[in-house]
Amino acid sequence: MMNLLLGYQPLLDLFLLHLGLAYAQWLVLRAGVFSLGTVGLAAVGAYTGGILVVTYGLPAPLALIASALSGGLVALALSVPLARLRGIYQAIATVAFIQIVLSLNIYATNVTGGAQGITGIPKTVGTPLLLLAGAATIYLMYAITHSRLGRAFDAIRQNEAVAASLGVSIVRHQTLAFVLSGALAGVYGALEAFHSYALVPSQFGFPYLIAILSYVVFGGRTSLWGPIVGTAVLILLPEVVRPLADARMLVFGILLILTINFLPKGIADTLIERARGRRLGARRPAEADTAKGS
Amino acid sequence: MLLQQLLNGVVVGGVYALFAVGFNLVFGVQRLLNLAHGAVFMTGAFVAYYTVRAGGPLILGFVAAAVASGVLAMIIEVVCFRRLRKSGDAEFGAIISSMGAGMVIMTFWQWVSQTQVLRFPFDTVPVVIYRFWGLRVSLLQLMMAAAAIAIVLVMAWFIYRTAFGRQVRAVTDSERASMLVGINPNRIYNLTYFISGALAGAAGVLVGLAFNNINFTMGEPYLMFGFAIIILGGLGSIPGALMASLIFGMVQTLSIAYLPSGLTTAFIFSAMFLILLVRPNGLMGREEAGSLRGRR
Repeated sequence: MMNLLLGYQPLLDLFLLHLGLAYAQWLVLRAGVFSLGTVGLAAVGAYTGGILVVTYGLPAPLALIASALSGGLVALALSVPLARLRGIYQAIATVAFIQIVLSLNIYATNVTGGAQGITGIPKTVGTPLLLLAGAATIYLMYAITHSRLGRAFDAIRQNEAVAASLGVSIVRHQTLAFVLSGALAGVYGALEAFHSYALVPSQFGFPYLIAILSYVVFGGRTSLWGPIVGTAVLILLPEVVRPLADARMLVFGILLILTINFLPKGIADTLIERARGRRLGARRPAEADTAKGS
Repeated sequence: MLLQQLLNGVVVGGVYALFAVGFNLVFGVQRLLNLAHGAVFMTGAFVAYYTVRAGGPLILGFVAAAVASGVLAMIIEVVCFRRLRKSGDAEFGAIISSMGAGMVIMTFWQWVSQTQVLRFPFDTVPVVIYRFWGLRVSLLQLMMAAAAIAIVLVMAWFIYRTAFGRQVRAVTDSERASMLVGINPNRIYNLTYFISGALAGAAGVLVGLAFNNINFTMGEPYLMFGFAIIILGGLGSIPGALMASLIFGMVQTLSIAYLPSGLTTAFIFSAMFLILLVRPNGLMGREEAGSLRGRR
């Protein structure tokens, strides 16, 4: 039994690391910010952590705090132009941000190690710490969801004009969501660096972005369960069905198309809505639908 | 030296124009970003390569590539976008859906090419270099420029001088109003996606010839450049995309020539960020990039 569990430990670690980034992506989408830049912010955090630990010999916990700060600060700076843009333009701008981070990391060889990246990062993060981080993240998201803040995010996502007329400041809330998401991405970027000995710039590129987005879209973009379900299913799927492991990209691609077309709310959100609808009788789900659809 | 770089830049810009005009045409008509456009572009290069390797002449490869890419783009629209457009939240959905389509197409070509870098047989285009006024132009560059100009001219004639083009522009302005006057929008969408895909496929062949390097990831950087170009030109504006492609081609070759190597990408995307900040609608875009709060 123990052996079996140990065999799956790398998978559990992977799940926890990706879950954190999935929540970072989920948080911005929930506040109606159309950002795809989570991976770039994770890169900022990972490099901050890696450089501080390897080059300057800082202890890992301090470096982790610095990573959170750097992710949050970069997100704060990025939120200024983003606040002036609309939907698709935000998506394009954040994809450009990922490219800028990527090419700067490759260019600044004497700081970031260039294309070779940073090696020899002491491994200070194991499964227990990741479990703790996962629990803390879920609690934090739970707390946000069930506070005034979460309701404000929901209102903005569903209808900006209505939210503004209710006295919810859109710019302030979206900036807050983006900065929180940036700090979270920074922390998980650094956790990834401290977990795997080495960092390379291409690690935080387009494929990673697609993976993170798939988790959130597949699981669900509004409920707390979305990222958990999405990340768990999509990470387990290639492991359970071995022949699929080679065709990971193909499976992700087809799943993305099918999910967004036929289950646009994602698995978890759809199931939760159904359960709620059954509990409240036949009249309510129709209302819930109109409220949810934005 | 500077003149030579500018000339190279114009040729590169012509190829970018093929890519970006199609990208932007689709955005103009449906207000959706097709993130599989890079994969369509790559498909063109692959189809031409396999045609030439099977013994076909290059011109046949070129036509086959354009047709195959056009049909592929049409399929993407039907499979990925048609259902979404009726659901309301198409803007986000289209990004996800077309991202998925891009991955499927990339995996397909990865399998077909077995992750190899493919090269056109030597002498597919003879290496001939012309010199005049101290400038050097290769036959390939001339071909690229000629093909780009010809294709863009034909497309411009199509969009601005034919009944079909009028219908496309009508649907661009308002889908509902154009339905009222008897235009079938789905037919228009099929055709615009076909044109968009065919343009991308043609660009793919030219890029494959120019760098003689065809592989299953070749579409990704072009998709990124495509973003930068349509932001500069204005989302949805075809003249804007044309102008921006030429500017972009020249800026890129100049920055490769004069900036420290490795900074080109960072420079290009930082410039794009600046444009988004200062002039989010680009050179010739419509007034729509600003958010609700921007207007307040």
